[in-house]
Amino acid sequence: MADGAEDFVKGALAGVVEDSGAITAMLITKEGVLLAAAGKTSSLNTAAMAALVAGMYSATREVARMVGEKQFSILLQQGETRHLHISLVTDVVMMVVVFEDYTRIGRVRYAVRKATEDLAPYLVSSEDVQRARDELAVDTFKAGTLRLIDRIFKE
Amino acid sequence: MPHISYRNREIAFKLVYFGPGWSGKTTNVTFIHRSLPPSRRGEMVMLDTDQERTLFFDFLPVELGEIEGYSVRFNIYTVPGQLYYEATRRLILDGADGVAYVADSQPSRLEADIVGFQLLRENLESYGLSWRSFPLVLQYNKRDLPEVIPLGILERELGLEGIPVFEAVAVAGNGVLETLRALSGRVVERFQM
Repeated sequence: MADGAEDFVKGALAGVVEDSGAITAMLITKEGVLLAAAGKTSSLNTAAMAALVAGMYSATREVARMVGEKQFSILLQQGETRHLHISLVTDVVMMVVVFEDYTRIGRVRYAVRKATEDLAPYLVSSEDVQRARDELAVDTFKAGTLRLIDRIFKE
Repeated sequence: MPHISYRNREIAFKLVYFGPGWSGKTTNVTFIHRSLPPSRRGEMVMLDTDQERTLFFDFLPVELGEIEGYSVRFNIYTVPGQLYYEATRRLILDGADGVAYVADSQPSRLEADIVGFQLLRENLESYGLSWRSFPLVLQYNKRDLPEVIPLGILERELGLEGIPVFEAVAVAGNGVLETLRALSGRVVERFQM
């Protein structure tokens, strides 16, 4: 994320939860990595959920291509009491909103659309990735990681 | 390339267990899950059919710990082995940092092992990756069976000379962590190249 982005992103997600009355709002990458979350997350296995939603999105994208679409930018999963609204924020980041009252779907969509416009500029930062790569391009990172691998993955 | 977050101080590598149907990919990951203390691993997610075949993927996040101020994680996936799940396999390989190819050592499965590797090669190439420069390890699984193919046959058939090779009995855990250790080590080595 770009400089100063972390607080802004969390605030934007909290805004989605508050404005729409949702339970949880999460940002995940298409690779299935959780970036940030707001609302109630203690009852959710957010790591597994991020991987599953990313897989679901990938599968749906292939289906979209089969019917001549590049992708479906919004996915909606309707349950009996809980529902999911999944939408693209950037080419590589998705927002997942868990909500209960289905009559609030309009509010969810409005809050997500509003937050998406605000969030997009904060989520693209190749400089940050490069900064992290520079920090990790040291022998001590490799040596430390290999040492932990040997210690933890032992027969 | 791994997922890197400078702000959250974390780096996550994606490891994929690939191989033909019934070769023991899920068994490998299940053993890894059992072997690691709860503090090191998350919940294992398995998406399988009524016949216990992997339908979509299995997923296991493993926390290595903190190094140089960064939290290091390996996200382990398996792919479904059956030929008709080609589209799913390709999706799971997207963004992979390394692959463990789990071969079935039964002589009757030699052809499936060879076809499976050819699919892996094609899938990697579709993402612009060459398996020759990609972190890859080969595991001959089911070495406890009375009849097994000799070591070296897959390397010769597939031109894999030089890649790390391991014998395993995944149901008993033999060779499982050794395979994971070699794969994760190669992934980290490549990240710093």
